Amino acid sequence: MKGLASRILRLDRRAIFILIALATLLPLLHPIGFPIRISPEVKQVHDYIESLPAGSVFLLSLDFDPASKPELYPMAVALLNHAFKRDLRVIGMTLWVTGTGMAEKVVSGVASQYGKRQGIDYTFLGYSPGGSNVIINMGQDLTAAFPTDHYGERTADTPVLRGVRSLRQVNYVVSLAAGTPGVESWYVYGKEKYGFELGGGVTAVIAPGLYPFLDTGQINGLIGGLRGAAEYEILIGLKGKGVAGMDAQSATHFVIIALILLCNFLYFLAPKTTVRSFDGAQDRPGSPQGIGR
Amino acid sequence: MAASVFIGAWVAAGLTLFMFSFLYKDNPFFRFGEHLYVGISMGYIIVRIHYDVMMKSLYSPVIREGKWWLLIPAILGLLVLARFIPKVSWLSRISFAVIVGFGSGVAIPRIISSNILQQVQGTLKPILNSGQRPFGMTQFNSLLILVGVVTVLVYFFFSIEHKGPIQICARIGIYFLMVNFGAGFGYTVMARMSLLIGRFDDLILFASREYAYASLILLVLVTLGLILWERGRRRAETPRP
Amino acid sequence: MTLFLRRTLPLLLTFFFGVAAAIQYYVPHPVSEAALTEISVWLRITIGFAMVLGVASLCHVHYSKIRARVAGWGYSVVVYFSMLATVAVGLWAGGQEEGTGFGWIYTYTLLALQGTMFSMLGFFVASAAFRAFRARSKEAAVLLVAAIIMMFGRVPLGEYLIPAAGPLAGWLLNVLNTAARRGIIIGISLGGIATSIKIIFGIERSYLGGRE
Repeated sequence: MKGLASRILRLDRRAIFILIALATLLPLLHPIGFPIRISPEVKQVHDYIESLPAGSVFLLSLDFDPASKPELYPMAVALLNHAFKRDLRVIGMTLWVTGTGMAEKVVSGVASQYGKRQGIDYTFLGYSPGGSNVIINMGQDLTAAFPTDHYGERTADTPVLRGVRSLRQVNYVVSLAAGTPGVESWYVYGKEKYGFELGGGVTAVIAPGLYPFLDTGQINGLIGGLRGAAEYEILIGLKGKGVAGMDAQSATHFVIIALILLCNFLYFLAPKTTVRSFDGAQDRPGSPQGIGR
Repeated sequence: MAASVFIGAWVAAGLTLFMFSFLYKDNPFFRFGEHLYVGISMGYIIVRIHYDVMMKSLYSPVIREGKWWLLIPAILGLLVLARFIPKVSWLSRISFAVIVGFGSGVAIPRIISSNILQQVQGTLKPILNSGQRPFGMTQFNSLLILVGVVTVLVYFFFSIEHKGPIQICARIGIYFLMVNFGAGFGYTVMARMSLLIGRFDDLILFASREYAYASLILLVLVTLGLILWERGRRRAETPRP
Repeated sequence: MTLFLRRTLPLLLTFFFGVAAAIQYYVPHPVSEAALTEISVWLRITIGFAMVLGVASLCHVHYSKIRARVAGWGYSVVVYFSMLATVAVGLWAGGQEEGTGFGWIYTYTLLALQGTMFSMLGFFVASAAFRAFRARSKEAAVLLVAAIIMMFGRVPLGEYLIPAAGPLAGWLLNVLNTAARRGIIIGISLGGIATSIKIIFGIERSYLGGRE
C-alpha cells in the first residue's frame, strides 16, 4: 500500500496538467449553469451605481495588463454597461502602460453599443506614468494631470468634463486592479484627501487583502475575481464571460480539492506519520520561538 | 470577416499554443514566443512613453503652451539616464533623491491616516458603539476581529520574548494568519484557473469554422513540431556506436 | 565640492522634498496646494524618463548576447526585431490603436502571449498543490481547511451541493481573514513609515546606489 501511495505521489505532473486541461475544457464546451449567489460586497457596488442620478461623473480606472484580462475585462464590460445604461458621464483611464490598448477598446467598444459619443458622453484619458503621482495630480487639477485625452483632444475643452476640475467633483471612482498601482493607491493617495466614493474590482489574488478596507468603509464595495464579475453580470442581466466561466471554475476547483485530499490521504497512509505543532521546532534557529530570545 | 481579424486569430492561436508547449518541456517554440513577447512589450512601452509622456506631457505643454518650466523635470529625467555613463552616473542620484524623497514624504501622513488610524478605528468602533444591544453575531464578529488583530500584532512583535501569556497570544495569532493564508491560497487558485479559462475560451473560439479551425490545425502542427524536435534532440544526445 | 555634489546634495534634496511633502498634507493654503500640483506634474515627466532605464537595460542584455554569440543568441535577434517592428508600426500609426497595425499587434500578439504566459500558472498551482500541500502540522492543517472551504464555497457547484458553504466562506473572509490582514496591514504600514523616515533623514541610502 505504501508503495502504491508513493508511486501515485510521484506521478508525472503532465498527467495533472491533462486533468486540469480537461476540467477547464469540458465545462466550457458543455456548460451546465449552476445558480450563482450574489455576495453583499458586489451588490454594494451595483447599488451605489444604481443610486447615482443621470449625468453623474463615473471614473473607471482600468489598472491592469493583459495578464489579468480574463478576470477584470468582464468586470469592466459589466460596469460600463451599467454606467452607460444609467446615462452616467464616464471617464476611462489606466495607470498600467501595457493595459492602455485593452482599456481603450473596452470603453469605446461598450460606449458604441449604447450610441454614446466620445467627448460628449464619455472620454478615455489614456495612460500616464507615476501611479500615485497621477492620482495626486488628478486630485489637485485633472487637466494638469491629463492636458489632452488619449485621442489628443484638450481635456479643458471636452464637454463631458465640464465642471470636473479635479477628483473632488467625481461622484464615483472604481479601480479595476491587478496590483500596484491599484485600489490601495486610489484610497491612500486619492479618496483619503479628495473625498470621493471608491469601489474596487480586483483579481482574486489580491481580493482577500482588501476586506479590511471594505469593513471600515474605505471602499464601499468589492468585486473579486471572475466570480465577482459573474455576480455583477447577473445583477445587470448580462450574459457575459464571467457567468460563462463559472462552470469551468467549479470543475477545476473540485479537481484541485480532490488532488489535495488524495495527496494528504496517501501521505497519512505511510506509517510513523504524526501531526505536530510548531513546538516541535522550538530549538531550531529562525523558529518563531527562537527569534524572541 | 476582415482579413486582419482572420489572420490575427491564426497568429494568436499559434502563439498561445507555442506558449502552452512549455507544459511538455522547454522547447524552441516556447522560447521563440517568450522572446517575441519581450520584444513586442518593450516596443509597445517605447511607443506609449513617446506619445503619453514625451508628446502629451512635455512637448505639447512646452512648445504649444509655453510652459518652459517643465524643462526642469525633463532635465531631471535626462539625469536619470546618466546612469548608463559610468563617469557621470552619480548625476542620476539627484533625480532619484527628488523622486524618492517626495514619494516618502507624501506617503507618510496618508498611510498613517488610511492604513493605521482608520484601521484601528474600524477595529474598536463596532465594540465601543455596541452599547446596550444584546450580544449577537455582529458583536461576536467584532470581538473576534479585535482578538485577531491584537494577537497577529503580538506575533509580529519580536522585540520581546514570546513566553507565557505573550506566547499564548502569538500562537492564537498564528492560527488567524493560517486562516488568512488559506483564504489567500484558495483565492489564488481561483485567480489562476480564471486566467486559464480565459485562454481556453479564446482557443475554443478560434477552433470554430468561422476561423477555419485555426486552433485545431495549429495544435496538430505544433504537436508534430514537438515530436520532430524531440526526435532530433534524442538523436543528437545518443552517442554513436 | 565633488563629495558635496555626489553625496551631500542628494541627501539634502531627499530631506527637503520629503519634509516638504509630509508637511504639505497639513497645510491647506493655496500656495501649498499649487506646489503639490506642480511637483506631481514634474515627477510624472521624470518617471516617464526613468521607464526608459528598464527598456535600455533589457536592450543592453540582449545586445551583449548577440555580440558574444552565446547559446541562444538567435532569440535575442527575435527580441530586437520584434521591438523595432512594433516601434516602427506604432510611430506609423501615431500611437493610436483603433483600426491600426499597432492595435493589431497589441490585440493578436501581446494579449495572446502575456495572457498565456500567466495562465500556465494554473497548471503549476495544481501540480504544486498535489505534491506539496500536506497537513504536516496543526497550523498547516488549519491552512488546508481554510483553503478547501474557500475553494469549495466560492464556486457555484460547491454552494449548490452545500448551501451553507458560501456564507461560511464569506464569514471566513469578512471576519477571520479581515482580522489577520488588518494586523498585517498595520504592521507593514508601521514598517513602511519607519523606512520612509529613515530615507528622509539619510539613514537609509540604498536608493542612491554605488559606494560613494
